[in-house]
Amino acid sequence: MVSLEPISTVDVPYWHPRTETMPRDELAAWQWEKLRRSLALARNSPFWRERLPADISSLEDYFARVPLLYRKDIMAAQGVAPPYGTMPSTNPGLGSHHHQTSGTSGHPPVRSFDTTRDWTWCVDAYATALYGMGVREHHRGMVAFGYGLFAGFWLMHYALERIGATPVPSGGMDSRARIRLLVDLRVEVLGLTPSYALRLIETAREMGVDLKRDANVKIIMAGGEPRTDLTTDIIAEAFGARVHNAAGTTELGTVNMFECPEKRNACHIIESIVIEEVLDPVTKQPVGYGEQGVRVSTGIGREGLQLFRHWTEDLVVKRPWHECGCGRTWDYLDRGILGRTDDLRKIRGVSVTPTMVEEVVRKFDDVAEYQTILRRVRGLDTIVVRVEPASSQVDNEVLGARIGTAIKNEIGIRPDVEFAEPGTLPRFELKAARFHDEREG
Amino acid sequence: MTNARVELTELQVRQLRDCYRTLRGLAESVGAPGVRAAVRIAVADLHAALEGQALEFDLYTHRWDEESSAHDHTLAS
Ligand SMILES: [Zn+2]
Repeated sequence: MVSLEPISTVDVPYWHPRTETMPRDELAAWQWEKLRRSLALARNSPFWRERLPADISSLEDYFARVPLLYRKDIMAAQGVAPPYGTMPSTNPGLGSHHHQTSGTSGHPPVRSFDTTRDWTWCVDAYATALYGMGVREHHRGMVAFGYGLFAGFWLMHYALERIGATPVPSGGMDSRARIRLLVDLRVEVLGLTPSYALRLIETAREMGVDLKRDANVKIIMAGGEPRTDLTTDIIAEAFGARVHNAAGTTELGTVNMFECPEKRNACHIIESIVIEEVLDPVTKQPVGYGEQGVRVSTGIGREGLQLFRHWTEDLVVKRPWHECGCGRTWDYLDRGILGRTDDLRKIRGVSVTPTMVEEVVRKFDDVAEYQTILRRVRGLDTIVVRVEPASSQVDNEVLGARIGTAIKNEIGIRPDVEFAEPGTLPRFELKAARFHDEREG
Repeated sequence: MTNARVELTELQVRQLRDCYRTLRGLAESVGAPGVRAAVRIAVADLHAALEGQALEFDLYTHRWDEESSAHDHTLAS
């Protein structure tokens, strides 16, 4: 007789106990060994051969002599010989997976391929993150995304499979169909962006579904965007689930960090596969633990598209591993990615990011969705918040005044508040709500 | 946190390394497409296990590219 009870095994908290709990000096030696071999392979790449000195002798020497890699460098290399450019260290003909970033106007996509070895490596890193969050083989998991070109959630799908969990594909489904599937299949693990999670919550409410009562989601991997604590709390409360942060880049090929269940907001860097520096945005010199800077990423693992000292634009604060009690010896990024240097705008002398506006506006229950626009009004830079009220019962004038005052108090600038008809503002599935800067172009 | 035994024994380490060496050899020598594909996937999977234990780090796929190895020889000579 087949048992229908959940599989039970002795629980080991780490996917790779050895590399997750290595003493720091051994970890550094292992990183250097991997970097040394990666640098040797990079001699196969015309792009890297030109950029990398041939005689790098240590990690310190590497940090001192290897130039930072900017987006424009990647795009230039890609443009020389499409589709992948001059960067590959292994023939793309040996690849078995293709992905790319979504790209926007004026921002062509970053393209990426993986060999079978690389794809397995990328998936294994993602499995490290999911397993660390508590995903186990008896779970069912839904990855709520369009199953398109974007790599991130494909990796989650394959990582669920690798762990032995059961991925439930939901590409091409609308939010209502996904909610029905979540409820019907008692799905325990859900992967999506924070903004799409808010959308699902809204849809469930319209359907009369109480996610906490009717569904069975226990672990949410809400990745791909900066978020506020308040957004996390709203999602956790609505689903009755633990919400974990994680992030990665197409350039690295996989996730570089995940939030530890042991300590809220502690996003461990997966230091067995990536070396992460934090540099001052202006001087490009290293900053210490606890200081904000830009994350600079070196991949130690991939063979097709390698990555040495990638200036990610992500603003982060690194903290030492021992401040988290889980036993991992990996340092962590406090609250994950705090924003992006390219999202930071000076408005009348005040530095503003989209997350700062979100922090304030999401506190208003009467706001269903919103957009932030930067506009020049009579020669003056102005923040315009376009608000979609939760219902037609809302008094727009009162709500607008309250939002205006809250933003003035929290950020220091009084915005203009405009209103949109219910259901008309876009909900984002894969992209953080960014500023719509009408001053450019 | 847990008492589960998670370190590999010396015997297990040796067996994993032997498997890996054998599969790596097969991945280059086997001609039957279905066998070769299966072996190459097995190599990648096993490599992930060994890398996770800090036992092996191997960048190998470029060796399967006859053209690129010929090119490398030209550059080296
Ligand atoms: Zn931890």
